[in-house]
Amino acid sequence: MGKILAVHSYKGGTGKTLLTVNLAAAYANKGKKVCVLDLDFRAPSLQSIFRQEASEYWLNDYLNGACEINKVLFDYTPQCNCNGTMLVGLANPTTEALRDMSAKDRKWEMRALGRLLSLKNTLLNDMELDYLLFDTSPGLQYSSINAIVSADVVLVVSTIDASDVAGTRRMTHELYDLFEKKTGILMNKVPIEFLSSPADRADVHSRFQNTHTLPVLMVIPCFCDVLRAGGSKIFARDEPSHPFTRHVDEIAAKVEKF
Amino acid sequence: MGKSPEKSSAVLLEKIKESLERLNEKMEVFIEIQKQERKQDFVVQDLPEALDVMTLLSLPDHLRKTAVTICKLGHATAEDVAEQTKRARAVESGYLNQLVLMGYLKKERRGRKAYFFVER
Repeated sequence: MGKILAVHSYKGGTGKTLLTVNLAAAYANKGKKVCVLDLDFRAPSLQSIFRQEASEYWLNDYLNGACEINKVLFDYTPQCNCNGTMLVGLANPTTEALRDMSAKDRKWEMRALGRLLSLKNTLLNDMELDYLLFDTSPGLQYSSINAIVSADVVLVVSTIDASDVAGTRRMTHELYDLFEKKTGILMNKVPIEFLSSPADRADVHSRFQNTHTLPVLMVIPCFCDVLRAGGSKIFARDEPSHPFTRHVDEIAAKVEKF
Repeated sequence: MGKSPEKSSAVLLEKIKESLERLNEKMEVFIEIQKQERKQDFVVQDLPEALDVMTLLSLPDHLRKTAVTICKLGHATAEDVAEQTKRARAVESGYLNQLVLMGYLKKERRGRKAYFFVER
């Protein structure tokens, strides 16, 4: 049985989307069957990364009950140059769709939770996918909590920003712990000078671990190359020997055993 | 020809067991109603309209675990839920009936079994 991973964070701009896409690519490189879904309906972004600006059906339609999930997914395997399979489901990025999604009521959100939960059957059982990855909205949004409830593992991405760390700690007690989810923290964009030697890296890791009650799975340095690429590259596909890709591979291996 | 005495007593015992099970479930509901009345802050008229994630977050821990399990299973008996939560069937039955009373879950009987579900 495959796993559902939700990638979440307290604040925006922590690198959730980049890590989600690269994790998916890392698993696909290993020959796994993966699917990545954009559940950030407030600020959809996978359509830019996968260069697929138009679609007949979006995840919005699936959650609205207007179509089944197979209508939404497109096969990115030929472009991902991988041994496995990579499917992608996009959120509708138009202003009209953003407005529509922000006006949904509790009853709709409850039905949306049911639709997300049923993906375990359709995608993991019937289509035999190994990993389903949810890219989510930051903070306590309906769509992201729905994603967390539906997931088997939650990866929380945080920067070293004090408000981000404090928010992540708060969400640990007020969200992740309450749903008893397997949750791990990824400290991202950590200044490279903090991590110049193995001793420094161990020290920084233990300092972060002392701050959080959840396991800190990885401390990822801030790579200028990644920032410079501006989301135009999937490093796990385009730069297999880049240190960022090595970090992503290591996260993928840790999550497999998590 | 009449039934053998062994068969008749087996049927009788089965009927008694069934009645006891129904009685047990009614007692659990009755106990829950009494608990809620004692709290006095439970207003039946204010039934919530949806078991959404924000509602799940606001539930006490023991009920949240049961409610999330029902969300995942769809239609399920107290026994199905107990299997997932690793708690006793009677405990889950009590929590499920409490969630029904609170208006978050629906309950339907199919034969001898009671099924709980979220009405979506």
